[in-house]
This record gives sequence, structure tokens and C-alpha cells, in this order.
Amino acid sequence: MRATNTYDAIIVGGGHNGLINAAYLARAGLRVVVLERRHLVGGAAVTEEIFPGFKYSVASYVVSLLRPEIIRDLQLARHGLEILPLESTVTPLPNGDYLGRWADHDQTRRDLYRHSPKDAEAYDDFATLMYQLAWAVKPLLGVVPPDPISPGLRDLKTLLMLGRHARGLDEKRFHALFKLGTMSAADYLDEWFESDPLKATMSASGIIGTFLGPRSPGTAYVLLHHYMGEIDGVFRAWGFARGGNGMVSESIASAAKSHGAEIRTGATVERVLTRNGWVHGVVLDDGEELTAKTVVSGVDPKRTFLGLLDPDELPDDFARAIRRFRIRGSSGKVNLSLSEAPEFSCLPGGGPHLRGAFSISPSLDYLERAYDDAKYGGFSHRPYMDIVIPSMIDPGMAPPGRHVMSIFVQYAAFDLKGGWDDAKREAFGDAVVDTLSEYVPNLADSILHRQVLTPLDMQEQLGLTEGNIFHGELTPQQLFFFRPSPAWADYRTPVRGFYQCGSGTHPGGGVCGASGRLAALEILRDLRRRRGAGTTAAPGR
Amino acid sequence: MKACDAVVIGAGHNGLIAAAYLARAGLRVVVVERSEAAGGCGATEEVWPGYRVDTGAHSLTGIDPRVMAGFGLKEAGPRGAGLDLMSPAPCVVSPQPEGEALILERDPARTADLIRPFSARDAARWPEFVRAMSRASRALGVLYGTLPPRLAGAGRGDLWELLRLGAKMNRLGRRDALELMRLIPMTVEELLHEWFESEALKGTLAAEGIRGICQGPLASGTGYMFLHHMVGAGGVVRRRRQVRGGMGALGDALRRVAVAAGAEVRLGHEVASIRVEDGHATGIALAGGGEIAASRVVSSADPGHTLLGLVDPGELAPEFLRALDNIKYRGVVAKVHLALGEPPRLRSGGDAAQTALPGGDVAQAALLAGAAITVAPSIHYIERAYDDAKYGRPSVRPVLDAVLTTALDPSLAPEGCHLLSVASQYTPFRLTHGSWNAERREALGDAVVQALTEHIPNLEGAILHRHVLTPADLADRFALPEGNIHHGEMTLDQVFLGRPVAGWARYRTPIDGLYLCGAGTHPGGGLNGRPGGGAAARILRDLK
Repeated sequence: MRATNTYDAIIVGGGHNGLINAAYLARAGLRVVVLERRHLVGGAAVTEEIFPGFKYSVASYVVSLLRPEIIRDLQLARHGLEILPLESTVTPLPNGDYLGRWADHDQTRRDLYRHSPKDAEAYDDFATLMYQLAWAVKPLLGVVPPDPISPGLRDLKTLLMLGRHARGLDEKRFHALFKLGTMSAADYLDEWFESDPLKATMSASGIIGTFLGPRSPGTAYVLLHHYMGEIDGVFRAWGFARGGNGMVSESIASAAKSHGAEIRTGATVERVLTRNGWVHGVVLDDGEELTAKTVVSGVDPKRTFLGLLDPDELPDDFARAIRRFRIRGSSGKVNLSLSEAPEFSCLPGGGPHLRGAFSISPSLDYLERAYDDAKYGGFSHRPYMDIVIPSMIDPGMAPPGRHVMSIFVQYAAFDLKGGWDDAKREAFGDAVVDTLSEYVPNLADSILHRQVLTPLDMQEQLGLTEGNIFHGELTPQQLFFFRPSPAWADYRTPVRGFYQCGSGTHPGGGVCGASGRLAALEILRDLRRRRGAGTTAAPGR
Repeated sequence: MKACDAVVIGAGHNGLIAAAYLARAGLRVVVVERSEAAGGCGATEEVWPGYRVDTGAHSLTGIDPRVMAGFGLKEAGPRGAGLDLMSPAPCVVSPQPEGEALILERDPARTADLIRPFSARDAARWPEFVRAMSRASRALGVLYGTLPPRLAGAGRGDLWELLRLGAKMNRLGRRDALELMRLIPMTVEELLHEWFESEALKGTLAAEGIRGICQGPLASGTGYMFLHHMVGAGGVVRRRRQVRGGMGALGDALRRVAVAAGAEVRLGHEVASIRVEDGHATGIALAGGGEIAASRVVSSADPGHTLLGLVDPGELAPEFLRALDNIKYRGVVAKVHLALGEPPRLRSGGDAAQTALPGGDVAQAALLAGAAITVAPSIHYIERAYDDAKYGRPSVRPVLDAVLTTALDPSLAPEGCHLLSVASQYTPFRLTHGSWNAERREALGDAVVQALTEHIPNLEGAILHRHVLTPADLADRFALPEGNIHHGEMTLDQVFLGRPVAGWARYRTPIDGLYLCGAGTHPGGGLNGRPGGGAAARILRDLK
């Protein structure tokens, strides 16, 4: 019987990164088990039928950054992943007008021209530059961060490769990159554009998932990410998974299973077991023990190192780095079941815009004030919202004639003054519905069900510490070889045989999957070495 | 007339330091200054008879020690410059809402004792914090003493430079260098949060991270700003230094040094334009008529004024002009000067005695011994003050840095009288509604006095004279772009490689022979003299 509880690798957490990690390890022939606390896999990328007939992409709701090599390697299309394009972003304005950006370039140009002829001109130049810069930055997403303190030969090779890549950039682009890396989205966009709704909507991509306003330095860089989305090799497109974002996870789980991985839901890992600095398994909350020489954590760095392990087992400076790793949540989510299609007063009736996204970001000051509300421990009374209507794109998400609406809401503080409770959750939901009703008059009366997730709910339900959707803020001091801590950014940990593969590692954030894949490649590399050197050698280092 | 080797525009501290270095190297140097006094922002003016007021900067953290030592600035006697820097033991007194006060001293052990009533945990961490910040600022100092490396389009020479810089940082310890990399993009709130829990302590320290920038303590890069002020402060957090005789004495000392080195300093001459022939600077034209021919022109004026105001725009490429146009200035500092008939008395805490927090007499003693008053009781207080400026209005409850200059130097005011110099932030240069005028200037003065009166109850009754300088006034008086005290906002995009604009961070300009040497160049403002020294080194190297 004992043999059934022994694996080559145990993956803690069945989020998309854990599943990807498992799939790659299983594909290499390892005996792998994924342990997921909830009754379904996916972590923050889940589709749940909270109310009969209505399917919600409960937390994450769009796909853009999922690495194409993962889709190819794991043949995710064969396992049910189908991504439907999300072709437009419309920003409704308080004066009844709107600003639209569409898949059709000429239509976008006409729309921008209405607001500012100058911006219509600048928009194409801007897009060209961003596109070039996104290409320049992309290689970073695919490498294991080098160790800057005591670099080995391989680290030096990586640095050299990146150095060579940087030298290939001409001066103009290099300087643009420097500015993007340091400026606020608002300041950077001010250099290009004059239309306030355009600047606000573009800067919104820079504030998602951060506890920063559009005028906070460091938010310009994320503008690039908008141009980095890549679906089926089509640069710059955003998409929606048929069946909701849970289908992303399920297709990966299916791929993992097809390679022989075992997936156990309802299995809560209590602790990671170690002996003499080596990992040797995990224990579940019901006392069951599973053993393996390789254990991989897909949960965030705080829970991994301060929850699953005893911090005393870690070197002091590392434990300290993890304690101070910033992971403040700033967003919430509202999912609605609607009895009829929402009608936006800026674009009455049906139309292709309903299959796109809506951004409630009429001006920079609007976003900045939404931030002000939250930074002193509150939530935005008039929040920034990013809205999609999944049932318009995929009718299977709601019963015929009915609709579901997914609303990403920012800002809400995790450590709300006085703490979150049911009344405050409802007040937060009301702020969302009231604000949106200004643009969608038929909204309030058509709501059949409402699900509100505060940052605290995201922690409690999805296991995201402080409700941070990226497992740690994506600020420069927490990126690349700082993520989550220098010298331990290569997916390894101070406990031998214990690895990390969640979004709290490089490159992190978004449903990108690179962390899960890169971690798997590192683990396989260590195992090959271990095998080569006999079983007593240390993996990796 | 024979052309001189270099004409320096502006006799602020950076212009004078550049001139002194160039003259000492044997160049024929002429410095031209529009005002009647040397020193630029470090100015002491007799605003009212018998009162010598530091109308610009009122504190000094650290002039580059290489300048101090190299030119014997502190040496007395006929040959030395005789600069007397006073550095009191108490550096800061930070009054709190309940009447207690946090005091920071030069000595870390003493300061830990003073912090203890606010938080025992913070007190225990203080000495280690001081050491960590001191190490980080030393590493930053290495970067400050070097030209920002060229990374884009780098040639062999640039790579060599980069390697040498790498080796220098390596000698400091790779961990320190890496820690600096981590600290630079941080918010000062985040930096302090890693160490401390006391709001009073965090607010008092965070005030250093926002000085002169239109950002709050929750903004990335304010951690860097905090460290910037520690470079040259000899490992003392929030060090306070004052020049005997007023800040103007620094300008006088530097002028003597430059003249002794062989430079000629002409005060009261405004430069109208920089002459350019075939893409090469050939001299300057004076506003009052006349020209000075020179083989190179070195401007300590801000980059915008130098290149957009003094040079014919036809000489510059559109991309470069656009980059100059995009420099952010956004001055946020105002000055209020108060002549007092009696010494200011800090409110003694009502509950202070019960809670055993230092306040009352201890704080009063610190103030009279030369400590600056900081009004920034918490990080949120500062952030709220910034919120007002973000929407284009002066802070209702401003962040204040007030110095009783007469505490260390009674000669600055008539017998028995006192001078309080207050820097107030945030006061935006550009207002959303209207612009600066006499009425708004007085309203600003009232707001500052009111905010101070909360902590100094006898203030209003003691005021004999009041003098207010809005950012617009500072802009006019000291030729500060948009009133920015650093000649360009010191946010991360505008420092190092980005100062003054990306691609031109090495004192040169696209015009041959035209150099920049002011605070708008690497490593920026704060009366440290490094831009002047760095530019001179650059020019001398180009001569070889």
C-alpha cells in the first residue's frame, strides 16, 4: 500500500501553473500528483456555475499572455482549449459619448479622430513603438533569472545573452524602454496623447493588479504587456476561453492526465515535510502522508514559505525577504446574472461592441480618485471597472436569452478600515452596480444574481494571500531576479528538492504559465544531474 | 578681445565649482551671473533691515567632500575660504498631534533612546537601519561620482567604463550593490515599512523622500530620494547642517575659491543667448549688450532654459527638442520667512507627561539647539498633502520643514529677535484654478502659519514680519524652472541615464562645446556640487 503514496513529484496547488508544471513533469515520465484544496482545479482560473445555468469565470476572466509554447507543447487545443477573440474596448463617457478601440484599425482611427485628430495620428506611431519594445522585452519572459550575487557559468551566459539582446536595441528604443520602466502611465501617455479618455483607458492596463494610481511611477511599464498578448501567434490580441477561464485550467489538467499525472481535489496540504534540509513529502490536513523527493509549490511565496514550511527551516535573510515581499491586493470581482442583454446608453441596442470589453475609465482624475479612496483603507466609491459579457461571446455561459457579466473592480483595500464584513461586501457591490448603472440604465433591474468577491474573499476562497491576483506586486523591486528573492529566483528554494512554480516567481502574473513551465524544466535538469552524479548529490546546487 | 577658454553661465554653487576646477586646470574662465550675488539658490538677503534671510535653501546636507577638501573650503585664514558649517547634535524635532515630539539626533544610540517611547521595536532597529542606509548611500555615492554609463549603442570605451563601474561596485560588496538596486525603485513608505512601525517615525523620515518632487510617499522612487539626501551626510539620517552667516556665505566662499583658482566672476550680467557657429558654441551674448567669445560654454542654468531659451532651436534636432520639452519640472516648494520678536515655543504635550513621550522641554531644547522642525506626523498625512497638489491646489495641511536659523547663528537677526525659515510642500507651480497672485500668496502664508501654530502656540503673536515666496516667486527669483528646486523633478525617469534627457546624461549637448553643469544634470540637486564637478571633469577629459 505504501507504494501508492509515493511519487516522483508532488505539486501543491492545482492552479494553472501547478497544472502546467505537472503536465511537463508527467510528460517527461515522472509519477506526479497534483494536490488541490478545492473541489475543482484551476485556482484563480475557474469556471463555476454558482447559480444554476449561469457560468462565471469567477476570478480571472480573459486570456492573453498564455505562452504559445505551452499551448503547443501540451496540445491544449486538443484538450478543449478554444480561444475566442475579444475584439474591442469601449470606454463609455459621462456625457453619453464613448471612445472605442476596435479590431478594425480604420474604425479605431475614425473613433480616435472624433476625440482628437492629433491622437489618431500618434496612436499608430505609439503602437509601432510598443510593438517593437514588446518584442525586445519578450526574451526575458522565457529565461530563468540568473543569480546576481554569485553567478555561475550558466547565469553569466544568460546575462551575456540579455546584454547582447539589449545592444541590439537602437538608442531611441532603449531610451523609450528606460522611460517606460520608470515613469507613470499618465506621464508617459501625456507625452503622446491629449484625449483624457484615451489616456485613462490605456493607463488602466498599467494599474490592474497593483496598488497604484495612473500617476504613480512604475505603471508605464505594464502598457507594454497590453501589446505582448499573444494568442495562436497573433500578437496583441486578447481573448476569451470558450466555457470560461476554467477551460484553460481544465484543458491543462486534461493534458496532464493524458501524460499520466494524477490530480486529487479536496486534498489540502497542511505541511511540507523535510529532513536534514531535504524535502521528503507532504502531509494533508487529514493526516495522510505522501512522499516524494521532489515537491513543487504553486501557491504564493507567503503561503509557501511561511505556511507550508516552518520559517525556522529557512536562512534568516531569505525568511526576511519573504516576509517583506509585497503582496497587497487591490481589486475585487463582481459577477452578475442578467435577465436581458445590458444596454449601454452610449451605444444603444445590440452590436459587436457587446462581444468586446468595456472600460469604466472616463478620465485620469477619475482613476486617480478611485485610487485615493482605497489607499487610506477603503474601496472606490466610483471604481475603475473592466467588463466583459461572456455570454455574448460564448452563448453556453448562460441560459438562452439570459446573460452573465464579469466585472473586474479596482480599487479595494485588503486591510479595509474596520475589516470586511457582509455589509461592506454588499456596499462594495452596490458601488459597482450604481456606478455602472450610470452607463447601463437597464442594469439594476435586470440583475437576477450577484456574486461579489472582495480581496478578503479572494484570499479565503481562492487562497490568494491578501487577495493579490499576481501572487505579489509586479513592481521593479519584485521582478526578475528579485522575484521572490535574489539567489532564489530560479524556482529552487533553500530546502533541497523543494521548488516553487507559482506567479510569485519570474515572470509571474496574468494567466501566462511561464512560471510553471520554467520550473518544470529546472526540476528535470536537476533530476538529470542527480541521476548522472548518483542519487546522493544535491539537486541543482 | 581674445576668446576665453570657457564661459560659465550662472554663479550658483555648481557654476562656481565647475569654474574653479576648470580655472585650476589652467583654462581662462569667465563666470557670468545675472544677479548681484553669487550662490544662486543658496542666497542670503536682507529682507528687512537687520535680518539676513536664507530666501532659497536653508539647509545643506553635504557638499561633495572632494570639493570641500580639494579647495580648502573650510580652511580659515587669508588663503582658505573660511566656510563654517555648523552641525548641531539634534537634527530634527517632529511635533506630533498630541503634543509629544519625536527627536532625531546625530548619534544613533541617543536617537534610539528618543524613539523608544514611540516604539521599543523601532528603537532597537534604529542603529541597524542607520548602518543599512549608510551602506546603501555609500554605494549610491559611487554612482554619483561616475558618469552615467552609456548602455544603448555602447562602444568599446563604454563597455570598459561599465566594467570599471562594475568593479567599483563589486569592491563595495555585491550584496550592497544589489540592495541598492532593490531600494532605488521602492517607495519610501515601503522602505520604512520594512523597518518601523511608529507612524511618527515613518512620517518624519518619509518627508525626506518627497522633497522637491510632486509625488507622495507612496510613489516609486521616493526611496531613492531618501537615499539621495543621505549621500555625503556622513552616515547620519536627516543630518542638519547650516552655514554660519547664512547660505549666501557658501556662494561667497565658492566665489573666492574660483577667483583664487584664476576665474573671473562677473555679477549683474544676464546672458541673452548662446552663440553657435557650424554646430559649435562660440560664446555668449549679454542682455545688456556685448559678447564674450569662448571656445566652450558651460551652463549651470536649467537644461530647458539653456537649450530652449538661449540656443536658436534651429540648431537642434526635433527629437531632442521634444525630449527637452517633455522634462517634468512641477515645482512644489514654497518658502515662508518669519521674523519673530520672541523665540518660538513648542506646545508642551498635554498627555505627554503621562505617556512618558518626549515633548515640551526636551523638544524645546532641541529646537533651540538647532534642530529643524518637521511637520509630517505620518505617511498618510504627507500623502494627503500630496493629494491636494495632484489636483492642482496647495495642501490644506502642508508638510513643513522649518529652521530657526538664529538658533545656531544669532547674528542673522537683530538682538533678541529670531528668524524662522519655512519650506512648505506641496505647493504646485501650476494651479488648476487661476494662477499665483498677491492674494493667493497671502493665503498660502496664512495656511503655513496656521499649520505651524498648531505646534507653536505663541507663533502668531511673535510675528514681526512675514515674507512669502510662492513657486512662481522662486522661479523668478532664482531662475528655477517652474519653481523646481532641483532644476527638474528627481523622479526615476529623470535621474542617472535620464538626466536631463535620455541619451544626453553626460554633461554634453548636441552642440559641440556646449556643456551643462547645473542641478538638472547627473546626479541632481540638493546643493551637493557634484554636477559642477562632474561637468568639469568631463570637459577636461574632452580636452585631452
